[in-house]
Amino acid sequence: MMELDPRQYEHVAISDADVRNIVLSYLIHNCFKETADAFLTSTGMKHPVDYLVDMDKRKSIFHFALEGNALEAIELTQQLAPNLLEANMDLHFDLLSLHFIDLVRSRKCKEALEFGQKSLTPFGKVQKYVTKLEEFIALLAYEEPERSPMFQLLSPEYRQNIADSLNRAILAHAKLPAYSSLEKLIQQITVVREYLQQELAKDAPPPFSLKAFLNS
Amino acid sequence: MERNLDEPPAKRIKPSSPELGKFSDNSSPPHHSNPSDKPMSEPSSSRGQIHGDMVGSKGLINRVEFVRVITKTLYTLGYKNAGASLEQESGIQLHSDSVNLFREQVLSRNWDGSLAALHILGISDGDIVRSASFLILEQKFLQLLRNGKATDALEVLRREITPLGINTKRIHELCSYMIGFGKIGGESPSSPMKVLEELQKLLPPYLMVAEKRLEHLIEEALTMQKNACPFHNPLDSSLSLYADHRCRKDQIPSQTTQVLEGHTDEVWFVRFSNSGRYLASSSSDKSAIIWEVNEDGKLWLKHTLCGHLKPVVTASWNPDDTQLLTCGWEEDIRRWDVESGECIGSYQRETIGFISYGFGFISCGFISDGKMFFSCLNGMDFCISGFNWERLKRLKGQRNTNFSDMAVTKDNNIIIFTDKNSALQLLDVALQKKRFVEEEHTITSFSLSKDEDFLLVDLVNQEIHLWSIKDEPKLVMRFNGHKRTQLLIRSCFGGLEQGFVASGSEDSRVYIWHRGTGTLLEALDGHSGAVNCVSWNPANPHMLASASDDWTIRVWGTKTC
Repeated sequence: MMELDPRQYEHVAISDADVRNIVLSYLIHNCFKETADAFLTSTGMKHPVDYLVDMDKRKSIFHFALEGNALEAIELTQQLAPNLLEANMDLHFDLLSLHFIDLVRSRKCKEALEFGQKSLTPFGKVQKYVTKLEEFIALLAYEEPERSPMFQLLSPEYRQNIADSLNRAILAHAKLPAYSSLEKLIQQITVVREYLQQELAKDAPPPFSLKAFLNS
Repeated sequence: MERNLDEPPAKRIKPSSPELGKFSDNSSPPHHSNPSDKPMSEPSSSRGQIHGDMVGSKGLINRVEFVRVITKTLYTLGYKNAGASLEQESGIQLHSDSVNLFREQVLSRNWDGSLAALHILGISDGDIVRSASFLILEQKFLQLLRNGKATDALEVLRREITPLGINTKRIHELCSYMIGFGKIGGESPSSPMKVLEELQKLLPPYLMVAEKRLEHLIEEALTMQKNACPFHNPLDSSLSLYADHRCRKDQIPSQTTQVLEGHTDEVWFVRFSNSGRYLASSSSDKSAIIWEVNEDGKLWLKHTLCGHLKPVVTASWNPDDTQLLTCGWEEDIRRWDVESGECIGSYQRETIGFISYGFGFISCGFISDGKMFFSCLNGMDFCISGFNWERLKRLKGQRNTNFSDMAVTKDNNIIIFTDKNSALQLLDVALQKKRFVEEEHTITSFSLSKDEDFLLVDLVNQEIHLWSIKDEPKLVMRFNGHKRTQLLIRSCFGGLEQGFVASGSEDSRVYIWHRGTGTLLEALDGHSGAVNCVSWNPANPHMLASASDDWTIRVWGTKTC
């Protein structure tokens, strides 16, 4: 086994096919259909089975969720993966709450109240949802919910989070990897570098920063 | 006590122009912002001038406040007419017009009106106004919700309640009620009287006289008198208002009322039963005796319990006084039935599981429910066991003396035992926490007060220390004057509300101190040998028993016994 200095990584050989797979997995995961098509054609790789069909649907579901249009997202998810939401109570709850928040955002408070009474109250029986529920419902008390203590529920980041979870759940349901290889690789590198830092202290390479890496 | 809805109506027949009188209060002075009220000026006109501002020999009491408090008390007691007459004759209104309006609005559940009335009360502290508004609007919200008007309730919440900017947690709770979960089922509608009471607590005290204010002031005075009374040990614990309270010395047991001769050697231990109906004594004549207290206060010998082969050092009653547990010195523990005097069980150290040491037990006692007992072995080992020989808990101390003691609180949660020579350990079983009472001298014995918040600790240096053990153990009082050089002398709590401490002494006297101040009240002569132990009857604060080396037990009472 040759002596590997963590700082001298250029000597490690990598296969091209591996790289292409990594890129492809990223594109598929995030539903970049046209890009994926173009990539596949240019590299001459084989199309994975069935990926096109699902990707379209997944893309719309993701975007609906991102906008906060949870009802559409739920509808399409039911079509694409029928038992997904029943199996995933947490996710279902998050999506319904998303709709509630959307109603509040558009100042449709009466509707929000009714929707809450109809669809969200049943969740109130399970203890772990109660705290979250109380937070959402409390939004109703504020004429300007963006100024309330729970303002982050209205933020795009929050919706992004849920959209991501939904995407991952659908992929997992279809027995595809829930995280793209690229993501996993970067996570691994970060952990390894952190570990090395702890072990070697001042001799270690600095903590992994993707930005720094890309600029080097 | 029936709350008075009989307070005067807002409109009443007023004589000339009654002033409201000066509302002398330290918080916010009333504003003159209220057109419908008479200006709140000094009572220098009409009646004020004739009688002066202050009453009482020390000039501490403000006249107007005094009259208002009395008026309030009259109404509370149900004397409407008297109350109204007083208001009229004194010219001092119990409540100003604006306060009466406010009260009316709240009592008739007119929340919007209440809110408006609140704002003309002239309270300058914004926080108070906000808190009170919150309370009123909360009622409005809940009322709408109960009547099924959820949307209206929502509007109230958004437009009126949230902008107050306080009590965020409660606002969130109210939201939950709207959606239909949360405890609205359990939140029964508060009566308007209760709402008014809550509001009264928030508002400055000068607006409405607090409930039972006069009673509270008097009770404080009585408590102070009681605490200052060193001999306070009456059979009847009510205090009179007619004169300042001070017991005379004759409330403390100080006369020998009976000499009990039943033992044929030194008597080492006495203890009254929990009900005060029996007295147990144990002696170096290897026996224990159960005495019964007659209705006329005299004791007679009920049973002599024989069976031990060594001097009997201690006797412990079970909670309902049906059994007695005795311990022979470095010998066995025996259990007796009180009614029949029969021995119903005997426990050797082997059965409890102590193997190695050559000694037997030196102390024992029932645990609170009477189903378990503790035993002490030569100061180092303590054991809690059940009567079927189940060993439940074992503790180790670090003493090298041959006397030790143990106590367990009624909830079985705290175990107190002599840990080191000069320390007691308080072990909290549930929390597994240890606290310590640290002394500078060796501890010989201790007792736990009835309320379990205090420990009385006997020391070799002729002092008795009182420790408060509710939180961190703290030394509260010292008692001294008695003599102790060689023997084990025990002390005890006693008297009304355990307000006294008594102890035996090697100079043959019984010593009694006032617990609160540590003052020595009595040193009773009578015995002709060291007094080893004392016990105060829990049911009769005028009865004290003492056990002595002169082979007798003396029963002490007051002069009137």
